[in-house]
Amino acid sequence: MKLESFILTNFKNYSLQRIECSPGLTCFIGRNGMGKTNLLDAIYYLCMGKSYFNMPDSLAVKHEESFFRLEGHFTVDGKKEVVVAKVIPRKKKELERNGAPYRRLSEHVGLLPVVMIAPDDTNLATEGSETRRSFLDNTLSQLNNNYLQQLITYNKVLQQRNALLKQFGENGGYNPALVEAYDRQMTGPATAIHQSRQQFMEPFRQLLQQLYQSISGEAEEVDCRYVSKMDQAPLDELLRDAAEKDRILQRTTVGPHKDDLDFTIRGYPLKRFASQGQLKSFILALKLAQYRKLMEEKRTPPILLLDDIFDKLDNERGRRLLELLIEGDFGQAFITDTDEQRLEAVIRQFGQQYLKYQVENGTAAKLNRHE
Amino acid sequence: MNFSSKLIEEAVNAFAALPGIGRKTALRLVLHLVKQQPEVAEQFAEAIVKMRRNIKECERCHNISDEKRCAICADRHRDQSLVCVVENIRDVMAIESTGQYRGLYHILGGVISPIEGVGPADLNIDSLVQRIQPEGIKEVIMAISPTIEGETTIFYLSKKLRDTGVQVSTIARGISFGGDLEYADELTLGRSIVARVPYKGMSD
Repeated sequence: MKLESFILTNFKNYSLQRIECSPGLTCFIGRNGMGKTNLLDAIYYLCMGKSYFNMPDSLAVKHEESFFRLEGHFTVDGKKEVVVAKVIPRKKKELERNGAPYRRLSEHVGLLPVVMIAPDDTNLATEGSETRRSFLDNTLSQLNNNYLQQLITYNKVLQQRNALLKQFGENGGYNPALVEAYDRQMTGPATAIHQSRQQFMEPFRQLLQQLYQSISGEAEEVDCRYVSKMDQAPLDELLRDAAEKDRILQRTTVGPHKDDLDFTIRGYPLKRFASQGQLKSFILALKLAQYRKLMEEKRTPPILLLDDIFDKLDNERGRRLLELLIEGDFGQAFITDTDEQRLEAVIRQFGQQYLKYQVENGTAAKLNRHE
Repeated sequence: MNFSSKLIEEAVNAFAALPGIGRKTALRLVLHLVKQQPEVAEQFAEAIVKMRRNIKECERCHNISDEKRCAICADRHRDQSLVCVVENIRDVMAIESTGQYRGLYHILGGVISPIEGVGPADLNIDSLVQRIQPEGIKEVIMAISPTIEGETTIFYLSKKLRDTGVQVSTIARGISFGGDLEYADELTLGRSIVARVPYKGMSD
């Protein structure tokens, strides 16, 4: 799978920009705040149907404009695929594949696998469990569209159940039969979600350990264990036991929406016991493991988006990261950096063909000819 | 739009307030009425006023009705032991136009959705439960959309109906007639396989 070119219209700080892509590396160089990351996000949007950054679509529209449009020209298994996203705030967003709009945006996920590695990924380790669940969901949704459909159903039922519990809390009264109506509908999707997560995480842990050692050059043992109450009991039992608690707290306190990944180093919590360097190596290993898993199961390397990573990594880790990528039959990557010399130095070691763009205030100009 | 007449403007506004009618269509309708004899407009207005003043809700099934009981409930030839539960009046019309159903109806007036603020108390649920025994109803057919809200409503209703001993069924879900398997969504196709039915030949 390759991205040949893409066009942004009124997307973030771009008015109209066409980017031609290298089949190997494409680099975006420029100072901070010029719009390098926005180019990566445009690619991510075309692959996933939404922004990588948890922000409403209306904020991705260029200032004082009324819409944005993204167009991507891909080749998948030798076939052309044109993906277009059109967003007019307060109207339904549209995602088209080869001219035909998707009935459900979620049908698109998985067609064009993508992995983004960004500086703020460390919040996977430092912030709440939601970030880790969304990492899991993002990976599994790209691997298996049925997973995403189960997750959507589960979340819809969960929302209704929580709204119901809230109403009971505010207006008094409790209707066990109605709560049960939601419990029944949650167990099916919850079991499917739990099983997928479990099956995915077992081999993933070993891969993470391997990659961590390669990136950090250290032999420490790291782990990411999947933690779910559903390991012990089926959801209907958990819901029954938590009924009283749910009623008092006015929300659902058990289920896959409470699952977590437990990151450890030498058996201790990563967040408290890892140095800054170890933390970065861990997160990189996690993202690379995601990349490898997607490549393995999709039988095509995902598009890799590397946002400003050499700035936050010492040269040694950066070099090992690129090494790992290249030895792993790596496909297409997009890299942003503020420092042209640094990036050049890293890339040159590997003799990859690449394209370079200078990014300045919402315009990107090609710096080199394709060799 | 600029009107030379305040009267025309008011009439256009009234028509345009109806669903599916924009201002241009509204103007066309008003101008049509202006061209007709005054009696035509009077009859038209009278029909609407009369309809609105006299239309009732059927005391038994909550259908729209001219009398206290709707025409369906009043029809003694219909199977009085069979009740089809639907969300709204339009569903009654849809099922009636199939010509396949000869039982009675019960209109809920919506489905349970806490997010929209619709709870069981907002729907005609108690009146359904109270109908079962006095009317000698043997089977209740749930003809409700298979959405999360619909499934919740069906589950809740079936719980409420359990003590009455009435048989509860749902309409079949699956591949539509003349539909192509290839184009059926996975969820529907999957459910159709699981809930397959014995083949009874081509007779029906």
